[in-house]
Amino acid sequence: MSCPLSRAWRTAVGFALVAALLATGCSKPEAPQQAITVDHEIRPLPAHAGRAILTLRLTGGARGAVTGAHIAIEADMTHAGMAPAFGEAKEIEPGHYQSPLVFQMAGDWVILLHITLADGKKLERQFDVRGVEPN
Amino acid sequence: MRVPGLGQLFRWRYARPLVQTPLLIVSVVMILHGLFGPSLAPKNLATTLSWLHFRGALVLVLLCAGNFFCLACPFMLVRQFARRFFKPRFDWPPALRNKWISVGLFVLILFTYELFDLWSSPWWTAWLILAYFFTVLLVDGLFKHASFCKFVCPIGQFNFVASTLSPFEVKVRDQEVCTSCHTKDCIRGRREPSSDLVVIRGCELALFQPRKVGNMDCTFCLDCVHACPHDNVGILSRLPGSELLVDPLRSGIGYFSHRKDLAALAIVFTFGALLNAFGMVSPVYAVERWLGGILHLNSEAPVLGVIFACFLILEPILLLGLAAWWMRSWAGSPRGLLPLMVRYTYGLVPMGFGIWLAHYGFHFLSGLYTVIPVTQSAVASLGFSFLGQPRWTLRGLPANMVQVLEIGFLLLGFACSLAVTYSLADEDSPAKPVRAFIPWAGVCLVLWAASVWLMFQPMEMRAMLMSG
Repeated sequence: MSCPLSRAWRTAVGFALVAALLATGCSKPEAPQQAITVDHEIRPLPAHAGRAILTLRLTGGARGAVTGAHIAIEADMTHAGMAPAFGEAKEIEPGHYQSPLVFQMAGDWVILLHITLADGKKLERQFDVRGVEPN
Repeated sequence: MRVPGLGQLFRWRYARPLVQTPLLIVSVVMILHGLFGPSLAPKNLATTLSWLHFRGALVLVLLCAGNFFCLACPFMLVRQFARRFFKPRFDWPPALRNKWISVGLFVLILFTYELFDLWSSPWWTAWLILAYFFTVLLVDGLFKHASFCKFVCPIGQFNFVASTLSPFEVKVRDQEVCTSCHTKDCIRGRREPSSDLVVIRGCELALFQPRKVGNMDCTFCLDCVHACPHDNVGILSRLPGSELLVDPLRSGIGYFSHRKDLAALAIVFTFGALLNAFGMVSPVYAVERWLGGILHLNSEAPVLGVIFACFLILEPILLLGLAAWWMRSWAGSPRGLLPLMVRYTYGLVPMGFGIWLAHYGFHFLSGLYTVIPVTQSAVASLGFSFLGQPRWTLRGLPANMVQVLEIGFLLLGFACSLAVTYSLADEDSPAKPVRAFIPWAGVCLVLWAASVWLMFQPMEMRAMLMSG
C-alpha cells in the first residue's frame, strides 16, 4: 500500500532535483568565435562620471590588425533602469577604433561591444568598467 | 465595494485567485529568465521587474489604495494549491507569536541585498524568489492558518507597516450588525449547518472584524468579506495614518504601545529606509573605506555589519532615547523612557514611508518603460519576433519630474509624521503639548534632513562595495 505523503514527497524531491539540474546544467552552447582579441582602454583613468573616450584594438592572430569592422557600443549599469549609453566606434587607424562615451552616473558599468567584421561575421564582447568615480 | 464592477469582483469568492494567477505567471517567467536569461541585470526580467517595477508599484499602490499586493500574492496561491495535498498539523509556537522573526528576516534581506548586490544578479534574484516559494510551502505546510504571513514574511511586514498610511481599509460597515451577529463567521469561517464543515474561511490572521483597528496584519485576503453572512465587511475609505493617532486594543495585535516587537519593526522600516537609500549614493563608499581602514578589515560583511548596527540600533536608540528623555524632563510625562520610545516610534512610520516612496518611486518612474525592451528581448530570444526589436533607449519619466515627486514624497512623510507625533504629544501632555511635541519634531526633522541630503547625493551603484 502506498502512502500519499511519501509519494508527494518523492514528487517534490524529484521536481527539486530536476530544477537544480536545469539551473546548474543548462546553458546555451556558445558559438565558437574567431580568435580575435579585443583590447580596450578608457581615458581618463580612473574613469569619472561624464565624458570618456573608449579606444579598442582588434587583432586577429596571424592576420594582425582587424580593419573595416563596425563596432556598436552599449554601456549599461549593473542596476536595472539606469540610462544606458550608446556609441559607435570609428576606425582611427588600422585595427584601432575609438568612440566617445558618457557615463551618466558613478558606479560599475558593463560595456557591450557588438562587432560586425568586414566579412559580415558578428562578434559580441563584454567587459566591466568598475568604480567609475563621481565628479 | 460599492463601486460598480469592482465591488462585484471583490465579492466574488474567486477574486483572489483571479488576481494572483497573473502574478504567479509573471513570477515563473522571472524565475526562468533569472536562471536562464542574460546575466546583465538591466537586460533580465527577474532584476528589472523585482528591483524596479515590483517595488515601485508596491509602494505607490500602498500610498494610493492599500495592501493589494498581499491580496495578489502569488506565494499564497501556490500555498493554497499545496494545502490540497499537505494539511498543516501544528499551531505556530506561542513563544514565536510576535514579529521578532520577521524583523530579523527584514534586516537579513536588507543586508544580503547590499552584501550580494542582489539588484545586479538575475541569478540570485531568481533564487531569492524560489527560496520565498519554498519557505512559504515549508512554513504553511507545517503550521496552520496564515503563520507565514503573520509571523515570517518580511515583505508582508513591510506592507503591514506601510498600509497604516493607506487610504483604504477592510472593516465593518455597521458595528450594530456585528453586535447582533451570533455566528461570527468573519473569524470562525462560514460553516455548513449540517456538518460544521468550514466552507468559507474566516480570518487566518486572527483579526476579528468588529474589534479590528486599521490595516496592521491585514493581507486584504477578503476571507472576512466573503464569510460575513450580512455583507457587512468591505474595503472602506478612511483618513490615511489615522490608526497611528490612537492606541486602542486591536484584535489580533493588542496595544501598539505594549508591542516592542512591532516598534522594532517600525524602527527597521523607518531607519532601514534611510539605510537602503544610503547604500546607493557615493558617500557610502567613503564610509566603507574609512571604516575598513580604522577597523583593519578587508572583508565587506563586517564593515557592512557595523554600518547596519549604526543605522538600525545606535541611531534609533540615540535619537529616540534623547527625544524621550527631553520630553520627560521638559513636559513631565509619567511614562518611562522605553514606553515613550515605543509609543512614538510609530509616529516616525510616515517619514520612513516617505523615504521608501522617494527611493523606490525614483527607480520605478525613472526606469518605467525599461520593462518593454527587456520583454522584447526575452521574447526575441525565444525566436518570436512579434514584439519587434528591443528599444533599449526607452527609459522613463524625465529626471526633473521624478525629483519633484521625490521631494513631494519626503515632504508628505515629514508632514504626516509631525501630525502623528503632535497628536500623541497632545494626548500625553494636554497641558504642555508643544513642549512634549518639540523633541519628536526634532527627530522627524533630523530624518527628513538626512533623507533630503541623501536625495541630492550623486548616485553610485557598484556591484562590489569594497572595490576601489
